[in-house]
Amino acid sequence: MTQPISILLCALGGEGGGVLADWLVDVARHAGHPAQATSIPGVAQRTGATTYYLEVYPLPHSQLQGRLPVLGLNPLPGRLDALVSSELLETARQIGNGLASADRTLVISASSRALTTAEKMTMGDGRRPEGPLLDVVAAHSLRHHVMDMAHLCQQSGTMVSAIMLGAMAASGLLPFDRSHYEAVLSGPGASAQASLRGFALAFDLVNRQREQAQYVEHVMKPAPSVAAASTALPADVAAKFPLELHPLMSLAHQRLLAYQGAAYAQLYVQRLQGLLAAESAASLNESKRPVTLETTRWLALWMAFDDIIRVADLKSRASRWTRVTQEVKAKEGDVLKVYDHFKPGVPELAALLPQGLANRLLRWDRARVARGLAPWAMPLKVARHALWGMASLRLLASLRVLRPFGSRYATEQALIEEWLDGIERATRLSPALGLELARCGQLIKGYGSTNERGKDNLLHILRHVCGPASAVPLANQAEAVARVRQAALQDEAGQALDQALLQHGAPARPVKEQPVLWMKNPRLQKS
Amino acid sequence: MEVSFHEEIKALRMGDGEVFHGEGILAITKGLLQSGVSYVGGYQGAPVSHLLDVMVQAKPYMDELGVHVEACSNEASAAAMLGASIHYPIRGAVTWKSIVGTNVAADALSNLSSPGVTGGVLIVVGEDYGEGASVIQERTHAYALKSGMCLLDPRPELGQMVNMVEHGFRLSEASNMPVMMELRIRACHVRGQFVAKDNLAPKLSKKNLLEEPASFNYMRLAHPPVTFAQEKRKVEHRLPAARQYITEQGLNEHFDGSDHRHLGLIVQGGLYNTLIRALQQFDLADAFGVTSLSVLVLNVTYPLVPNELVDFCKGKSAVLLLEEGQPEYIEQELALMLRRLDIQTPLHGKDMLPSGGEYTAEVMAQGLLKFLDRHQNDAVPIATRQWLHTNGERRQQVQALLGSPVPARPPSMCIGCPERPVFSALKLAQQDVGPVHIAGDIGCHALATFEPFSFGHSILGYGMSLASRAGVSPLMKRRVLSVMGDGGFWHNGLLTGVQSALFNGDDAVLLIFKNGYTSATGTQDIINTPTDIAKELAGDKRQSMVHTNQTIESTLKGLGVQWLRTVNTYEVSQMQATLTEAFTTEFQGLKVIVAEGECQLERQRRIKPWLASLLSKGERVERVKYGVDEDVCNGDHACIRLSGCPTLTLKDNPDPLKVDPVATVIDGCVGCGLCGENAHAATLCPSFYRAEVVQNPRWHERLWARWQGLATSWLQPA
Repeated sequence: MTQPISILLCALGGEGGGVLADWLVDVARHAGHPAQATSIPGVAQRTGATTYYLEVYPLPHSQLQGRLPVLGLNPLPGRLDALVSSELLETARQIGNGLASADRTLVISASSRALTTAEKMTMGDGRRPEGPLLDVVAAHSLRHHVMDMAHLCQQSGTMVSAIMLGAMAASGLLPFDRSHYEAVLSGPGASAQASLRGFALAFDLVNRQREQAQYVEHVMKPAPSVAAASTALPADVAAKFPLELHPLMSLAHQRLLAYQGAAYAQLYVQRLQGLLAAESAASLNESKRPVTLETTRWLALWMAFDDIIRVADLKSRASRWTRVTQEVKAKEGDVLKVYDHFKPGVPELAALLPQGLANRLLRWDRARVARGLAPWAMPLKVARHALWGMASLRLLASLRVLRPFGSRYATEQALIEEWLDGIERATRLSPALGLELARCGQLIKGYGSTNERGKDNLLHILRHVCGPASAVPLANQAEAVARVRQAALQDEAGQALDQALLQHGAPARPVKEQPVLWMKNPRLQKS
Repeated sequence: MEVSFHEEIKALRMGDGEVFHGEGILAITKGLLQSGVSYVGGYQGAPVSHLLDVMVQAKPYMDELGVHVEACSNEASAAAMLGASIHYPIRGAVTWKSIVGTNVAADALSNLSSPGVTGGVLIVVGEDYGEGASVIQERTHAYALKSGMCLLDPRPELGQMVNMVEHGFRLSEASNMPVMMELRIRACHVRGQFVAKDNLAPKLSKKNLLEEPASFNYMRLAHPPVTFAQEKRKVEHRLPAARQYITEQGLNEHFDGSDHRHLGLIVQGGLYNTLIRALQQFDLADAFGVTSLSVLVLNVTYPLVPNELVDFCKGKSAVLLLEEGQPEYIEQELALMLRRLDIQTPLHGKDMLPSGGEYTAEVMAQGLLKFLDRHQNDAVPIATRQWLHTNGERRQQVQALLGSPVPARPPSMCIGCPERPVFSALKLAQQDVGPVHIAGDIGCHALATFEPFSFGHSILGYGMSLASRAGVSPLMKRRVLSVMGDGGFWHNGLLTGVQSALFNGDDAVLLIFKNGYTSATGTQDIINTPTDIAKELAGDKRQSMVHTNQTIESTLKGLGVQWLRTVNTYEVSQMQATLTEAFTTEFQGLKVIVAEGECQLERQRRIKPWLASLLSKGERVERVKYGVDEDVCNGDHACIRLSGCPTLTLKDNPDPLKVDPVATVIDGCVGCGLCGENAHAATLCPSFYRAEVVQNPRWHERLWARWQGLATSWLQPA
């Protein structure tokens, strides 16, 4: 018995999924075939995920003697002929609902991701790996075409709906020829032209099956590793370290040269040498030096800690101006104005002052807060495009020479030393533990409160999860550190972190004093 | 309004023999006009918004026909409109989202049903049930039963749907009962075709007015003592009359089976297509709906016609009733019928099908499998058993491949939405004053219940947030925040919330989102929508226009609200300060914060053509976009946890030394300014920049820019 061809379209609100469904119904109509589409938009038009369901009868009205097929309104799991989706995760979601099946379903999907809020809001990298998503597509489809629809959209300057239509047309899923589709798309407007361009791009892409296959492989292949980066390490330095360290080290070395100069870069090298020695001593027979390798990255990033000086320097670079110009698509003849949002507070300023002055300034600010005032800060909008703004940025950047005399510099160096000692000590006990401690360098990043939080967490791990004072048995320490580190990246409040700490027999973090404005309710005070 | 129905309005004019192509709900609208309806009212809400929207936009044509269209302030006022049909031979129709809308309309519906109607009355309800639904999962069916209204559930085929609209009015007139038509989400949005008829200009209309009011007739009042007589009349006269009409006109469809005619399926009309698709999986139906089992399609699900059902069941070896939702009213009534007549045909329903949830083809197939296994197991092909079995397996395999379930993608506020900054401010305010109990409401702001905000302790109904805190705030140490949209405010928040709080002198905090439209339902206009004149007069079309309409403020003042603050939503710091003040002030009474910012959808609809025209004329245009410096961003994503804007997302870290992805602003950013505001209010990392691109700059601008460019380039390193 001839059954209707069933198609599920997945799109995000505002992507024109409804338009696509209408196009397909019109194409069928022009070709003289019975067709029906339906959807469940609700409020999904507000950027949520939604689906559109179509059924097209493979025979034209002319062959039906006036009889009309009964067309369905819901997709049948495993009996779907095509699943067409504008976003990779949504493709996987619908396959997960059991809709697509390897014995029947053609899957056309975008390789591009629109990240969900849950993925975006994590403090580290919460993005879903694409590999498994693509595996799902491959495993549960009769045929599949995965393409970078976002790129095709940009190329043709149209909405993804036209791209999807082109892909479907080329797939030969429906008994219609290219002309039928183009007839529906074509119109006088510029948008119609763009749609046709997009349609053609996708049409040709799907026709090129082999390249398609290669494309998928390319998507599934992991990003090129740092090893590819150029090695510009001074020979004498390079000589001291095993080859595997060179790529990262050269990047790091350059970073620190630019950050604070040759002496500082040299300090970095010395610190690594110390650790390398310790690790070699701990694992003589082993050729690999995983602890040092891991530390190479995090030490460099920590030593090149972010402060106003560095930010001012980055913001005032010519390369940055060109990048912004491209990002905002400013054309020749346009005037571009760029304002940078700064809000330096007392800690940022104190960071640049010698310890004594810094402490006095901080005390003054704490007193302010104690009086119920907000901590002092100066919101700035610096006009990068204007002479005055640029001059002030450069002035800030030029304070680089004074950085080593600042209080922040001193604090950071002290903490770095404590961390490195911790790693060395641990490595001697067990290289695995040393490696985990080295990885904790990931906790250190950013500015202000983010940075403070990171340092507190790292110190807490150093002092309570491992080290002489730790209550955690040595055998479990490596695993404990790993767990705690992951937990530390989960929520700002650090609830996950405290739980993880307690689980592994380490104390929770001490409660930090924080000024709270108690919400007094007069109604209650009176009564 | 979000959708423009330019083409659809043309379709509404179609005459005899023309083929209408389009959406189900618009076919229904055309059906109303073909039935000579005199007045149409309702309240917007998915999935039936388009019915009213298209009529509002088609005003010139409606005036031509003399049809009165009323965009009612809520479902209760829409239902009350139907009172016109109690005395006068006028056909009227109203529409809303059910179950919620029907709940709001319930009082008027009872008082309408009791005296009954002379002119035909059709209530088109969108049964917001199953996948895609946004409300509580309950059945409208209950209202038909308790108030004595007919309930139509037409087979989702445009011709049949329109046909049932026309019958609906006649049925209403034949029985004096109001008639409800329930349309499921997928039926409202189904794209199909039907052969149109000429529209009927109503006999009584705005062009052909009633001469005299009807003479006084106490029997037409829902007022004792006649209410007792009216109840009797419902049972003794109206129901029989309705049943007679249904039988005579053959509104329910009986398809005799072929091989297995002794097995019967009874199905709600709305589920017919899905049932056929399910039967096809057993090779028990062909593509055209010819089935080997006998099928009775109930296009009218209340009242049921006992003879019809009994005749169908008599002599069948077994009957399966497919009735979606719970309780299973039809099944109970049918079982009672058969019992009373001592008919022994086995009746199956919820014993083989799930009591709750949408009846998809797969769900039905599983029920059919049980039914056939019991009564005709040779009718089940092996392939079908395998299919149903492998569905489950496949789902598990995918789960195994994916490891953890994929993250959900709920709807979120639009790019540049004026409500997002308020929740950023609320998040920051709570860092100072501690967590607050937040009474949520219906509307776009309800999207703040999703990440990254996860705000809202309760949602008690449209415009109910302030009322719903009346039991909480007196018993709680801290003050309670009620959030309400202007849509909800006018729908009923003004009376159930504000009036009550003032009358009781409650210590309450109300935040009203004044975005100027009922945005979640498709940005329909309301009483505080900025006027077209105001929009015309605005020099810069980009600015929010809602401040030009002060209806909310003056209403609140008129009622006696003493603590009233108006804050531009995009000023996060000020909003934060105002919230903190409201939570801590000495003032005891109702504190209202009006969060002012026009719906971004409406603004963009205005801005895009305006800018395009300026550019085409070569005039100066300044566009704003925010951005993140990839080398300054610290990969902590605090900015995202404070915003959730779709255009603020992540990309790989371009720095090979760093591993965490960095924030980035993608195309589509409308430059609302929230990123910058948050960067300041929350002291985020200094990676945000605001870029202003001036297209077609004036000559002196260009000159000045060039000079500054030279100067800065002399200062800047590579």
